[in-house]
Amino acid sequence: MTDQTALDTLRLNLRQWLAANKPQGWREIAQHQAFAESQRAWFLKLVEAGYAVPHWPSEWPGGGRTLAEQKVIYEELAAADCPRLLLSFVSTYHAASTLMECGCAEQKARYLPAILKGETWCQGFSEPGAGSDLAAIRTKAERKGDVYVINGQKVWSTMAQYADKCLLLVRTASDGPKQAGITFLLMDMKAAGVSVRPIKQIQDDEEFAEIFLDDVEVPVSARVGEEGAGWAVAQATLASERGLTLMELTYRMRGALWRLADLIRTNGRENDQGVLRDFGGLVTQIDAACALADQFLVNRIGGIERVGDASLVKNTYSRALRAYSALGVRIGGMGEQYRAPITFGDLNTGNWMADFMNSYAWTIAGGSEEVQRNIIAERMLGMPREPKGWVAP
Amino acid sequence: MIALDELRDAAHKAFPADKIAPPRDASWQLIAEMGWLMLDLPEEHGGLGLGRDAAAAIHFEMGRVLSTAPLIPALLGMQGVAASDTLADKQAWIERICGGEYVPLHMLAARVEADATGALSGTVSGVFEADMASNVLVGLANRYLLVPCHAAGVTLTERPLWDKTHRVFDMELRGYVPGPALTVAEGDAARALHDAISFSAQLALAADSLGGANAALEMTVEYLKVRKQFDRPLAMFQALKHRCADLKAQIAAAEALMWSLAGSEAASAAALGAMKTLANETYAWVTEEAIQLHGGIGLTEEHQCHLYMKRAALNLQLCGGADHWREATGRAALANFA
Repeated sequence: MTDQTALDTLRLNLRQWLAANKPQGWREIAQHQAFAESQRAWFLKLVEAGYAVPHWPSEWPGGGRTLAEQKVIYEELAAADCPRLLLSFVSTYHAASTLMECGCAEQKARYLPAILKGETWCQGFSEPGAGSDLAAIRTKAERKGDVYVINGQKVWSTMAQYADKCLLLVRTASDGPKQAGITFLLMDMKAAGVSVRPIKQIQDDEEFAEIFLDDVEVPVSARVGEEGAGWAVAQATLASERGLTLMELTYRMRGALWRLADLIRTNGRENDQGVLRDFGGLVTQIDAACALADQFLVNRIGGIERVGDASLVKNTYSRALRAYSALGVRIGGMGEQYRAPITFGDLNTGNWMADFMNSYAWTIAGGSEEVQRNIIAERMLGMPREPKGWVAP
Repeated sequence: MIALDELRDAAHKAFPADKIAPPRDASWQLIAEMGWLMLDLPEEHGGLGLGRDAAAAIHFEMGRVLSTAPLIPALLGMQGVAASDTLADKQAWIERICGGEYVPLHMLAARVEADATGALSGTVSGVFEADMASNVLVGLANRYLLVPCHAAGVTLTERPLWDKTHRVFDMELRGYVPGPALTVAEGDAARALHDAISFSAQLALAADSLGGANAALEMTVEYLKVRKQFDRPLAMFQALKHRCADLKAQIAAAEALMWSLAGSEAASAAALGAMKTLANETYAWVTEEAIQLHGGIGLTEEHQCHLYMKRAALNLQLCGGADHWREATGRAALANFA
């Protein structure tokens, strides 16, 4: 574990840097394209200062940080109320981890440095018929000489409308086990036949998009791993993100409790016993979620993380987030039913109805709450899986 | 860390998981022999001087097996005696308690009035296992004192509980004249003692609750794995798996909060009460579900499920109820974000 003095120094340096450099007024200005641009600018500033990719290996500028150091960085970014790194998230975690673990030398050389220059990636995994059951994807890739020709549709791609590249899962074989027919490709979003349609969410945000693929050609050299080995590569992609994100989000939620306190006062409810009890219960629930996220990281740093621990953290966070925003909707009363402009890129904005609707992103995305429950029940509690082989009656 | 694991191992050996609610007197003797009565007693008084987390670890294990021996009130009583600046023969008291003499703190309110001569009348509630106590550490407004169970003007009346793993008594005082040598703390010292004891008490109750919650969930999951209906174990039904998973997540969060406070130097009364409330309510929810998921057998005395449910309901009433602590936490948070 890193020496405490070194951690304190890192914290102090970052705090000083943030005081001079953190984005101001970002909640007010940035929507849609402007939001994406502000995200890119903030990311590049962090790259320059050496705080953008602490989880990358040490040969990269700003890389080689221990998990304890990464925790410090995320704590400080959250405490300073900086915007979360949404646009670059898939690039620095999913794309980077895929390339580092499974990419060939040419792919690493071509794509990794570009990420630090602001090239952004999206993820083309889920499909209309393949959500929790990801291996059921049907987007088809046919090999024709040196290229794959792709036809199909992807959905729930975070910020795909602003992405330069795509981590794409395609089906190259339909006989045999469904996992075995999956291949992993790196696709250029500017290629002919790629069209992107942002998905308008129930709270007016457009954080996700659909990707339509119509005879898109991807060179065989842009394949990661062998043909048919894409499922294993995708596991490396998905394993990259757990832990720190949830810790950061949990701390940000705790840091935003003042918004509820303000709302209670604004509505003259500060002596309403029922409101105080519910607020108190929520504060404890959020404190517990923070303690659980902390413990998770301590276990991960110490190498004693158990299968299912990440699921406990995710479900605890997402339920607390729902409760946080739902209490705001309740206390805000009719005032929250009038439509108000939303803030992009934040989950705890004080626009309570929008926050409430947005909170579903965390009980559904990134492995739904129900899938996490299965993991907890089966992998932690040892309860048996349901038998496979259902046939339509 | 090693010390904690050793303590846990010793507890598992002394109180195996399959012996739920072991007999009280034998358990008490075992607890005294293990040295747990001097667990958090400072070393200068001959104790083990272990931290709050060590005490919590033992209470957690005792909660798992629904221990019937009154370790929590005993340790709180010892804490008061050890902190005293006024008690005559303090070291002798400590040695007697270490040797197994039971001097508990009462766990519910004392409603006691002093008359003009200083004689005390009223009721001290929540004296656990008072039939085996020699004296009770009684907390009054601005003072703590030891009251001998068999002094003139003192009577003990058992109040039968739904939770049969505990016996609890009211201590009635009728013109009891307190002995000057038995004053444990007064004024500022009494207030400081109250805060210190509250910290230990909230942590102990939370640990007891979460140990019990873990055991009740394990018992329930095991039952669901064994019980078959519709040609498959109940544990295979997703509807039931998801309920168990939610219980597991709730326990994990409550435990994380408890251990984070157990390791901290200081915490506000509201933070501790909130932590205890979360642990208690988690226990109550787990045991409520445990009975439902056990089906018909869960309704019977034959099965042990109900013992956990009754303990959970009792723990919720000790050291401040849920409504009180939720409101206090809400007020504190409102003030923090002023």
